[in-house]
Amino acid sequence: MRIPTPTVLMLLVSGFTILSVAQNPALQLPPTAVAGKPLAISASGQGKGMFYLIGPAGVLKQAVDFGQDISISGEDLTISGMYQAVACGPDGCTNKTIQVQPSDPARLNFLLHPSRVPVSAHNAVNATVLVFDRYRNTVLAPTKVTFRISLAKQAVSERSILTTRGVAWFGMDSRPTQGALEVTATLGEASEPRVIQQVASEACHLRMTATSNGRTVNLQTDPIRDCAGNPLPDGTIVSFTKLDSAGKSTVDTPIKKEKATAQFTVSGRARISVACGVVVGNEVALGGGL
Amino acid sequence: MRKAAQRLCVLASIGLAGVVVNSSQPGLNHALAAAELPRVTLSADSLAPRPIEQRTGEAVTHDYAQAWQDLAVALNSNRTDSLGDYFAGEAKLRLTRRIEGQKSAHIRTQYGDGGHRVKAVFYSLDGGEMQLQDQVQLEIQIFDGDKLISSSKATQKYLVLMTPGSDRWYVRFLESVGNDAF
Repeated sequence: MRIPTPTVLMLLVSGFTILSVAQNPALQLPPTAVAGKPLAISASGQGKGMFYLIGPAGVLKQAVDFGQDISISGEDLTISGMYQAVACGPDGCTNKTIQVQPSDPARLNFLLHPSRVPVSAHNAVNATVLVFDRYRNTVLAPTKVTFRISLAKQAVSERSILTTRGVAWFGMDSRPTQGALEVTATLGEASEPRVIQQVASEACHLRMTATSNGRTVNLQTDPIRDCAGNPLPDGTIVSFTKLDSAGKSTVDTPIKKEKATAQFTVSGRARISVACGVVVGNEVALGGGL
Repeated sequence: MRKAAQRLCVLASIGLAGVVVNSSQPGLNHALAAAELPRVTLSADSLAPRPIEQRTGEAVTHDYAQAWQDLAVALNSNRTDSLGDYFAGEAKLRLTRRIEGQKSAHIRTQYGDGGHRVKAVFYSLDGGEMQLQDQVQLEIQIFDGDKLISSSKATQKYLVLMTPGSDRWYVRFLESVGNDAF
């Protein structure tokens, strides 16, 4: 069978076109990869060209021979997120995207607030944990975080919480006893302890007694404690206020060894009151009061 | 460059659990238009465990939009100095490394920002961290020198962690995630 010359020419031109198209690079890569794991990208085509991998925290650019696999090391893929792979040959460029997923959970950031809290305060302690893989990529898959809560001389309690989008949190009341409250968040081998100081709450049943020696009056409180029996810390200010014919006078004095003391000189009849924070204590009348 | 700036010249609006503050409010329109910020719409309907205050929502919206504007400028100009104002921590570190990589490879990235639909999903009890989900329309063009080597238009999702500073909210994590992430 004879083929007419124009047909031969057309076939030759078509073949050349097909060959040209075939020389354009084409990328084949999986839709997802895992952070830190190596990856092989197939770049088909012929000849030499340039390959780019543009990720959230870096750029890889290298000359390549098309038709051979391009090896991407795990070190170039440590950050999760969207990567753009681009291959450019003499006739143009092609691009594909790949989503790099976080690897296994391995690290945590633990935030415990506040650093000091009064005892028995409702929902006053809150803990937040952020879960990451070893490259600090947020791990989206639900991950169990265990919290161990301990206070001196009290039973240790534990609770486990599953993360949502890499976050686990809880709020709780502070305990009735003052002291260091230790909360440790654990995720596999990773463990992060945090300590907050539980301090006595407001004074409860604040009471003072007075002894007079002529015009001088010595005042002393009973041991100052909160309603759970925790002594208020030394240095907490107690205010004594005197009202007599000379006018009104206030003395602020710190608690020392659970008690506060003050001394006044009074003129005639007087009334003296005591207060600590928002708590008002008893009142003493001297010389029959005012 | 001018085209890119025009694309960024959109307004920010906020939708907070039924309360909407938009660009029709006196003063807001002009101020945000002048700043040429990307459009950011924030919703906080399912925010937990702490509700968001109106002013906080406005600040987060503005500062997040500002961060994206800085990001676009920095990746197009390969300058890291514009990242310091609204990025901090890991987000700033990663973007800095990306820009250094771009510089070495003599490439730059131009973002066309089609607007962000942001949902606040976590706001810690102490107000110290806020997690956001962002769905953004992006047109991404990558140039090697003057040669356009890649152009793509897609909806991209980001998981964002912001923390408050003395006068603004900082983006601490900005992670692109897969379409099935949320």
